[in-house]
Amino acid sequence: MGRPRPNPTQDVLGNQALARFDVCIVGSGAGGATAAHVLTAAGKNVLVLEAGDNPYPRLDDPAQQSPASLHSNDELKYAVRNYLQPFGLFEPRTFRADDTTDGQPLDDVNHLPKAVGGAFQHADCKTPRFNEIDFRLKSAIEALIGATPGLAVPGFGNDAASANFADWPISYEDLEPFYAEAESLYGVQGANPDDNPFASWRSKPYPMPPGVPMYIGLLIAAGAQQTLLDGGPLHPHTYPAAINSRFYDGRPPCVDCGLCSGFGCPNDAKASPALVALRKALLTNRCQLRYNAQAIALQNDGGSVRSVLYRDRDGLLWNATADAYVLAASAIESARIVLLSFTPSGDVLGNASDQVGRNLMFHLQTLVNGFMPQRVHGQRGRAVTTGLSDFRGVEPGGEAFRVVTVKGAPRIFPGGIVEFAASQGLSITDDGYVMAFSLPKGTGRRYGLGLKNAMRDGALSQHLISMTMQAEDAPQLTNRVDLDPTVRDVFGLPVPRITYSQHQYELDARLHYIPVMKQILKNAGAQRVFLAPCGALLGNPPDSRHVMGTLRMGSDPATSVVNADGRFHGVDNLYACDGSVFPTSSGWNPTLTIIASALRIAHGMAGTSRPP
Amino acid sequence: MDVDAVHAAWLSRRSFLKAVGLLSAAVAWPGGCGRLLLPAATARAVTTFFTDAERATLEALVDRILPPDADPGAKALGAATYVERLLTAFDGSPPALYAGGPYSDRNPFPDNSNGTPSTRFPLNAFATPLAPSPLQELYWRAQLFGDQAAGLPAYLTAQRGGTLRGLRDIYREGLATVDAVAQAQKGAPFAQLSTADQDALLDVFDTPAVFPVDPVRGHSFLDQVIAHAIEGCFSAPEYGGNAGGSGWRMLGIEGDDQPLGFSIFSLATQSYVERPDHPMSTANPDELGPGGALVPKPLSADGDAIQQSISDQTAILEKFLPGACF
Repeated sequence: MGRPRPNPTQDVLGNQALARFDVCIVGSGAGGATAAHVLTAAGKNVLVLEAGDNPYPRLDDPAQQSPASLHSNDELKYAVRNYLQPFGLFEPRTFRADDTTDGQPLDDVNHLPKAVGGAFQHADCKTPRFNEIDFRLKSAIEALIGATPGLAVPGFGNDAASANFADWPISYEDLEPFYAEAESLYGVQGANPDDNPFASWRSKPYPMPPGVPMYIGLLIAAGAQQTLLDGGPLHPHTYPAAINSRFYDGRPPCVDCGLCSGFGCPNDAKASPALVALRKALLTNRCQLRYNAQAIALQNDGGSVRSVLYRDRDGLLWNATADAYVLAASAIESARIVLLSFTPSGDVLGNASDQVGRNLMFHLQTLVNGFMPQRVHGQRGRAVTTGLSDFRGVEPGGEAFRVVTVKGAPRIFPGGIVEFAASQGLSITDDGYVMAFSLPKGTGRRYGLGLKNAMRDGALSQHLISMTMQAEDAPQLTNRVDLDPTVRDVFGLPVPRITYSQHQYELDARLHYIPVMKQILKNAGAQRVFLAPCGALLGNPPDSRHVMGTLRMGSDPATSVVNADGRFHGVDNLYACDGSVFPTSSGWNPTLTIIASALRIAHGMAGTSRPP
Repeated sequence: MDVDAVHAAWLSRRSFLKAVGLLSAAVAWPGGCGRLLLPAATARAVTTFFTDAERATLEALVDRILPPDADPGAKALGAATYVERLLTAFDGSPPALYAGGPYSDRNPFPDNSNGTPSTRFPLNAFATPLAPSPLQELYWRAQLFGDQAAGLPAYLTAQRGGTLRGLRDIYREGLATVDAVAQAQKGAPFAQLSTADQDALLDVFDTPAVFPVDPVRGHSFLDQVIAHAIEGCFSAPEYGGNAGGSGWRMLGIEGDDQPLGFSIFSLATQSYVERPDHPMSTANPDELGPGGALVPKPLSADGDAIQQSISDQTAILEKFLPGACF
């Protein structure tokens, strides 16, 4: 480590006496915290570097009981003053639809929170699994096309060059034990037996039963039950979530306080990776966490990483050394760190095939809204309790795609899971800001009694209901992260430049399901049902916070960045274990699969390749 | 290897980074934030930023943005105090930017033995501001005092189209403009005018000729005051406004509700108990008629117009941008 750091106890938790580390992990979110837990449990010494600040000041104190965080029911703190979210002025990203233009610097290009515990603490912690077929999607669709005369799928067959689909190098069966371990570690609530007919098989039940369903979820579910898709009924179901519905693992049950999606959890009922994984690692005495520690680049000799260069709170640069390194900074930031890591010959580390940063995927979110005549009080609940998986487009069990006939031709429509939601009753940002600023002058209510009346109505925050489909994004080589040539962040680093446009694969699914989504809301009693403008289709960054791809996992070094073990092709001690490794995005919220994948990769590193 | 050596080695080997200008800016944290800028710990003083005249102008202005009627307006709700608390956030230590957590003292703990509210209340952690992270401190110093005073590197704002002026200056100048326009057009400072004259002037202020859009902030002074009026009336009372939670009561919402929440787990029955007065899975009691039939309260004309305008505009997008929006 060289010269001792001047204030080695500042911004450090865990064992401060550790002098050498087996593994250094960059990022303390769902991927990194999970890996730290597995590795320390297996006896490894682990250093975790977290770029953000720490909302859990006593995370390493064995006497600390819940609540352990500084989180609170505070709209201003999170939604206005960015307590967890990076400031766009300091850490902009640039965006462009294709490589014919310069990237435009923007405050928000799919930014995720930066803090100990990562983005998942800031989500509503929905945790469906991927389907069995998702891990072999490319070969399954190719086989289906071969067996089904007249079936054409965008991105496949004659159109294959327009996308870059790939099977995962692992199967659902390979990952299933780690899904079960992830659900146990994070404490997932769900219906036993599973009431989602499209979920794939599971070896163990959900650890906890579901909590109280939200009014809004029940209203939309009733609408869905009166709606047909392709001539058959729809199947609304309990939404699995890593939120306690019982006392579990030292944390209390959720009280449905309402400030859930976009907020940290005040009483620890949500499964923040800091609480459920990183804390366990810290308590082994084999883990040290350094926060406000922004990783910059990997110092290396071309075949091995020698250290992580990082910046501390005072702007000083340090090298952190270990035997092995794990990138878990989220797909965009993990890719940026690699793109800033040059070999002695001046090449980007691990990028012999020019694959780093490519195949960036989000989910194409289709958002259909309406207004209920009564107040739906979304401030009571946990954002989403009920959903619908019919629009993933699979047969029950998720082992085959559902073939339907449209205008006489066979088609498949792989969309995604649908969340039943509402405003969370946020009066400042969901009502006031929208009424004053988002609508054209003359139709909005900028000020005066009109604004006050509309806010007292909760015209938006108490009456809007919504369905969001998280549709699968096709992977494309041209959708990518690279370094912007001119725009820099507050650290002086080139910012990530996102080049991204949608593929017909997801647009077809969107168009197929929009009329059904509208009908569901109408059947639920909603008025003024409308399709929300879709940023990604208007030349703006996608709205999704589901960020995947960029360091694709695969067997072939020519077409992927890491192997099935999560280790970089051609770099013997560097791993990735966040959403960056996903070869395809599927149509399900990604975090449980990030956790399961991190468990599998970390068990492999530790030599404990199966869960105990 | 010390920092300088790391840096030198980095510099010598990283021609690409040098080419894009990384290293010139990466050597030290802008402004030495963290150690140099933290003031010594002080008791929180009662601070004032505005003169009496400025405060009167601001109170009159926010009171026409959210005017009093049967419910209090933004002046009585404390929106001006909210603004002043923000502008003087750095007078105390830690700066009053982020309220603490996890709980205020407004709600009791649940009694999980039987699924009822207990009579125990937490201490109010909201009342103690959180120490900001280095980036948060730097950001808010720039917001309040301007990018140069905070020591932001010039490229950060230049690449966004200009410089970041501090909110303290913006308020001082903006309120002066409000009174100057009031004097010129109505013959008296804004606070001394009738509400009809004040309302008429708001429409004047809402034009770029009086308050142009700031290129870096993306909004005008009036926009800023509107946003702060809304924030002040409906954020947690510890931020200075929403006196006693009266803003939340006016909207019919509960405000912060931890640690009680709305679903209380009962260990006795191993199930959740909902609060009848604040139900989670059913309609609000005040919108249920005899026999449980739903009787929604009608919207005001303004709330109705807001919903209709959203519906109309998205319909236009769907009709005319079928390839983009639909």
